[in-house]
Amino acid sequence: MRAFAFAFALPTTLPRPIARYLDALPAAIIAALAGPAVLVPGGGLTRGPELAAALVVIGIVGWRRNLLAGVLAGVAVVALLRLALAA
Amino acid sequence: MSPQRAALVEGWPVLTSVVVVGIPFGIVARQSGLSPAEVMAMSLFVFAGASQLAMVQLFKDGVAWPLIVATVLLINLRHVLMAAALRPYVARVSVAKRLAAAYVLTDEAFAMAIGWFRRGRTEIAYYATFAVALYALWNTATVVGMLLGPSIGEPRRFGVDFAITATFIAIVVVGVRRRSDAIVALTAAVMASLLAYLGASVVAVVTAGAVAPLLVLFSPDEATT
Repeated sequence: MRAFAFAFALPTTLPRPIARYLDALPAAIIAALAGPAVLVPGGGLTRGPELAAALVVIGIVGWRRNLLAGVLAGVAVVALLRLALAA
Repeated sequence: MSPQRAALVEGWPVLTSVVVVGIPFGIVARQSGLSPAEVMAMSLFVFAGASQLAMVQLFKDGVAWPLIVATVLLINLRHVLMAAALRPYVARVSVAKRLAAAYVLTDEAFAMAIGWFRRGRTEIAYYATFAVALYALWNTATVVGMLLGPSIGEPRRFGVDFAITATFIAIVVVGVRRRSDAIVALTAAVMASLLAYLGASVVAVVTAGAVAPLLVLFSPDEATT
């Protein structure tokens, strides 16, 4: 019971702003990892495939809540558009 | 579904992608003049994609070792933030297990674990399974890259590398509960991109990741959770 209290009391004893900051931290880190690969892949501005694929992933995952479908669609879109640009 | 199974079912696109990035690393590292033992030791002990590629480049350029060490530490500074974010979920296991978990911490394992814990699950086995699978595959890919050399061409053209990015995006999207979540995520993504574009890619993730969440302090405090 005490262990239970310790485990769950800790977050609420943190000052509210710090708790909110820590709550927002993980998604911000993951978004910061993804951002450059979408907008500036390889160091230069995207020529389009990565941005289009990112929007497809956001659309599918936001709508269907299906991670795998979103990821596979994103890979397919980026592959097709990169091939189209290379041709 | 067991956490172990879920980790592999949900993680296979990322794991495939890691192989696709690891093979070119093996190729490039061998071309830089490092011995196979040195390249292998790097994958086994450093175990960090971006850092290893940076190290190989710096070795090739003949940069002094203290500068190489400093660069690698700076690139991996973001893992301090990740460890802090993961701490509430691993706090109940032993220090030895936490150190083992830290050894195999990667961007990908962090993102997958957050995606799992944010669904209300608590099993660390999910993280452990995914992280160890990634470790094994990264090292296998390094060997394959060294053995095959440039003969296999550039697999990135087919877009498989994008699976990692797409998984990151998907995990962020699933986690959006309030408008402020979306604003923080977009800010972090744009800020990191801008820093990378301006040549500060070494500190882009750690800076954007630490600064963007400050925005929640300016949005109304909606009581959740």
